[in-house]
Amino acid sequence: MTKKRGLGVGSMFYGIGYGFNRADIGSAYIEMADDGTTTVYSGACDMGQGIMTVVAQVAAEVVGANIDTIRVVAADTTSTPDAGPTSGSRATFVQGIAVHEAASDLHDQLMQTAAGMFECEKDELEAHNGDVYLKDANSPIASLAEVAARVHLLGGRCASWGWHDNSTADVDPATSQGDAYASYGWASQLAEVEVDTETGHVKVLKIVSATDAGKAINPVAVEGQIQGGAAMGVGYALYEQHILDEGVPRTDSLAFYLVPTSMDVPEIQCEIVEVYDPKGPFGAKGIAEPATVPTTPAILNAIYDAIGIRITDTPATPERVFQAIQEARARGEFKD
Amino acid sequence: MEHYSLKINGHVYETGAEPFESLLDVLREKLRLTGSKKGCDEGECGSCTVLLDGKPVLSCILMVSDVRDREVLTVEGLPQGGEPHPIQVEMTERGGIQCGYCTPGIIMSAYALLQENPRPSEDEIRFAIAGNICRCTGYSKIVEALQAAAGTPIR
Ligand code: FES
Ligand code: FES
Repeated sequence: MTKKRGLGVGSMFYGIGYGFNRADIGSAYIEMADDGTTTVYSGACDMGQGIMTVVAQVAAEVVGANIDTIRVVAADTTSTPDAGPTSGSRATFVQGIAVHEAASDLHDQLMQTAAGMFECEKDELEAHNGDVYLKDANSPIASLAEVAARVHLLGGRCASWGWHDNSTADVDPATSQGDAYASYGWASQLAEVEVDTETGHVKVLKIVSATDAGKAINPVAVEGQIQGGAAMGVGYALYEQHILDEGVPRTDSLAFYLVPTSMDVPEIQCEIVEVYDPKGPFGAKGIAEPATVPTTPAILNAIYDAIGIRITDTPATPERVFQAIQEARARGEFKD
Repeated sequence: MEHYSLKINGHVYETGAEPFESLLDVLREKLRLTGSKKGCDEGECGSCTVLLDGKPVLSCILMVSDVRDREVLTVEGLPQGGEPHPIQVEMTERGGIQCGYCTPGIIMSAYALLQENPRPSEDEIRFAIAGNICRCTGYSKIVEALQAAAGTPIR
């Protein structure tokens, strides 16, 4: 048997946002036109993680609009307010609240006008999916578009904005003790590997990733980030290495800097854990980096479980693993 | 500068180009067919994949002079009657796209696979797109989308 299998676990917690009293703000404008179309001007930049969709979902839910009527203008310095970078697993957590604030103020304006139209109190009204209802009633009394048209006709305010400051107190400079972040994400992963003891080649057979999302606002996107994060972790554990030779990068192309392909990344089973976070939009928190961090330790622990040798340098290339096995063999500590 | 008549997506495009210009540059810069992406420009990432006489090729390392009288298919050529191809629909619906940079190349590799092998196994799908690097998705949802497009069971 030249192939040995092992299982390993990696766990982590991660501070969401910037923490340590660093600037950490979100901000958005929102406006409903007289045909009911809502535009959100959101400063958060989408690189594919789905923050634009999350912004649209939060706005639709809070305003009570149909998501198909929400238009998101994102990360454009000519039109959107600054919401800081998309990094630190913060976009949903911080920008989500800014959009929530903007949308709930707009919702209030609309309900105020609707209350005038139907001679009731605004608290007796609610809106969902583009229609306005008397609370607990089954059929709508008006569409949001009709109410918006009315607001515009009366020259009322049909626009708003939201701003959210997620910055925290710094830790004690003398002791470095304190609560550095507004929130923390938690994640554990399980990796199964197969190590070829003749070549040192490690194949990841399966990853199970359990990540605390607070509340998964868009479960497909959350799974996509969990799976993408694990794939990056596979690269970190087994392939990716930036080599500098007296300051000159030697791994300056994808031929030398290897990132995982569809043949290298295994099945990634996602377990979305939802522990409501009162500081996030609808209880949500960031999951991006938490989905990446545990993968590499899980894989390295699985290698240890398979061959009884700790690999302490990443990436665990075939050369490194094979050399470690040979050294253990020479010491008589390796059972083939 | 030479003159080329290129057969792309069933149309003939007339353009001037240097013979050593890459097909990708001609597609993107001269013909404004910007669906094919330039991820690396050296044949490593697969984001520029197009079909040449039905076979997937990397358009960034193919000289335009080599594609004379041959049929090129780019991602712009997949929709029929204004409707996106089933692979495009499934990739969109199932989260097979995040930043989208790898997507046109993945779709073209997958299209070539399904033309040859309409009901591929998961391993065959993974092998067919192994030359298309995706940094975002971890491939799981791409594989699921391609299984759905092929009508094979999804794990
Ligand atoms: S751009 Fe052609 S392979 Fe990367
Ligand atoms: S979706 Fe971003 S590289 Fe594949």
